[in-house]
Amino acid sequence: MNPDVVTLEAVRKAYRLTDQPFWALKGVSFTVPRGEMMALMGPSGSGKTTLMNIIGLLDSPTDGRYRLNGDDVSHLSEFERAVLRNETIGFVFQAFHLLPKLTALENVETPLTYGGYGRRARRLRAMEMLERVGLADKAGSVPSTLSGGQRQRVAVARALATSPALLLADEPTGNLDTRTGNEILELFHDLNAEGATIIIVTHEAEIAEQTSRTVHVRDGLVESDARHRPQRGGATATPTLRRGEGRDRERTA
Amino acid sequence: MSERRRPSSAARAATGPAQRRRRGSLDPLEIAVIAWRAVRSNVLRSALTTLGVVIGVAAVVALTAAGSGVNASVTERITSLGSNLLTVSGGGPARGSRVRGAPRDTITLGDVEAIRALDDPRIQGIAPQVQTSLSVKYGGNTSYATVIGTWPDYERVRNAAVADGAFFSEADDTAARRVAVLGHQVAQDLFGGSSRALGQPILLDNLSFDVIGVLPDKGDSGFFNPNSQILVPLSTFVRRLHRSSPTGDPALSSVYVQGANARGLAGLEQDLTTLLAFRHGKTDPNDYDFEIRNQADQLATLNSVTGTLTLFLGSIAGISLLVGGIGIMNIMLVSVTERTREIGVRKALGAKPRDILAQFLLEAIMLSVGGGILGIVAGIGLGRVAGHALDVTPRVVPQSILIAFLFAAVVGIFFGFYPAQRAARLDPVDSLRYE
Repeated sequence: MNPDVVTLEAVRKAYRLTDQPFWALKGVSFTVPRGEMMALMGPSGSGKTTLMNIIGLLDSPTDGRYRLNGDDVSHLSEFERAVLRNETIGFVFQAFHLLPKLTALENVETPLTYGGYGRRARRLRAMEMLERVGLADKAGSVPSTLSGGQRQRVAVARALATSPALLLADEPTGNLDTRTGNEILELFHDLNAEGATIIIVTHEAEIAEQTSRTVHVRDGLVESDARHRPQRGGATATPTLRRGEGRDRERTA
Repeated sequence: MSERRRPSSAARAATGPAQRRRRGSLDPLEIAVIAWRAVRSNVLRSALTTLGVVIGVAAVVALTAAGSGVNASVTERITSLGSNLLTVSGGGPARGSRVRGAPRDTITLGDVEAIRALDDPRIQGIAPQVQTSLSVKYGGNTSYATVIGTWPDYERVRNAAVADGAFFSEADDTAARRVAVLGHQVAQDLFGGSSRALGQPILLDNLSFDVIGVLPDKGDSGFFNPNSQILVPLSTFVRRLHRSSPTGDPALSSVYVQGANARGLAGLEQDLTTLLAFRHGKTDPNDYDFEIRNQADQLATLNSVTGTLTLFLGSIAGISLLVGGIGIMNIMLVSVTERTREIGVRKALGAKPRDILAQFLLEAIMLSVGGGILGIVAGIGLGRVAGHALDVTPRVVPQSILIAFLFAAVVGIFFGFYPAQRAARLDPVDSLRYE
């Protein structure tokens, strides 16, 4: 009835740089239920980015099975992946990746344009999303006139525009200072509270600890998968203290 | 889990807005808007990119306009001196071992009389012509003119209706009256105006002639200037001005025979050839001492020459259009590389390969078609300038506009396709990471 958003079954991914295939993922399995907010962690070279690309339908697994909303999406054409990406995945990137020549509103409209929405529907929906992230007054501004935090909120609004089943955030606070980063995380918490399923890819433990589950990837395998009580980050909390707590929590969970 | 609130509000609107087109289908107009914004976002670069096509199309349009302008003006000059004409002139054999020299005086008055005696309904007029260069005097003014002796038919056959006065008549010719019709320039030189010339006596070879008519300004066609002619009756010319030929049958420089229509001209040409060959006692066409030229043939030859020239100029211009297309491809390739990240982002947001392909292809087409439109405008202007310099009225050929425009569009599609396909095939993962 209500299938899990993401189901990975022994997903493997090989890159052929030389004669010998390099296995970036060596058999990853986990499930993300609807409404969960989780962190995907791992050092560089762990396969974390490859995993995110596969979950985000930017890439296909070499073998294994990936089910999105219950549908097998392991082997789709690029066209089918593009359509599904548009409908079910909302991306938030570390470097924001807004289209520089477009206004905030037009940036939010872009996925709706590719989804085939009419002009009026697009504009209404995009405005609604900008209001949701508190940037309705910046609708006509181009990204270069916005602050980093504002740009990332426009990016979140854009990710939400097509009402995707999954919000996929790659180091969403990586280019922001702590306070602005926390504001973005607060926004994620609110969206999650409203029912959104969110995966945050990060290497920062203090961000992971604010979610309710952390999956660690190392050398192409899931090293640990732990559910924990989300530690809501606030401006008052001391970052160092929280980082320490987070690590303890991960190990004990 | 316990603190999670019930699903609500915006983010949970999983069903999505209702006003939705077909799944995954993108209105071509939307892609055109995206492409247009990219073209507009870098005006200088777009303008420079399109310059090659502008110059190419402008060159095609201008050169073909100038070429067909020259063609039209030459045709008009030829037909302005009479239409449906056969020109009979003396001369050596048309073919054979001997190089054809200057026309010899082999056509005589007797030949023309014989042609007139045919009374052929296909002949509308006959204008024999004998000419010489003489000084002409009026009072203290002296000028030089080509004095032509001819029949009154000349007026009709050679489009030489007078502007003032009257042409000489059959009676003038029969009586060998000393009357003259002046070319525009002669009247200007001697009298300072055509109306003042009428009725005045002029001296040709120390013989007095009365001016009875003045021709209108016929324009100067270079080597042959109809404005500096003086026309007198043929018999007057022969008796008063001509050194008679030894046989007593005066020689003519040429005879213009005007056909009633263009259709009968070839047959008439054949019959006249037979008649003259018989009269001159020639049986072998290689021995013919006369030549008959058909104006239609001359025009056709001329048109094919200028037509080939126009085509040649147009082709050279077309090559520059090709070069312009390569310029577009070059910039589009640079643009695709430069905008790799943008392409990655668009793909992440759900752009399908064909959306990206269409975007870049439309961008290239907009550049080339925009260049085509600017080129047509520039070409028409350039054609006017070139026409002014060549002293012809340029004729903008609609086909050349159409062909140049279509060619520009095809160039855009052809040279835009490869870069667009490169863009469409970019891997979303790699292009997102591209710095």
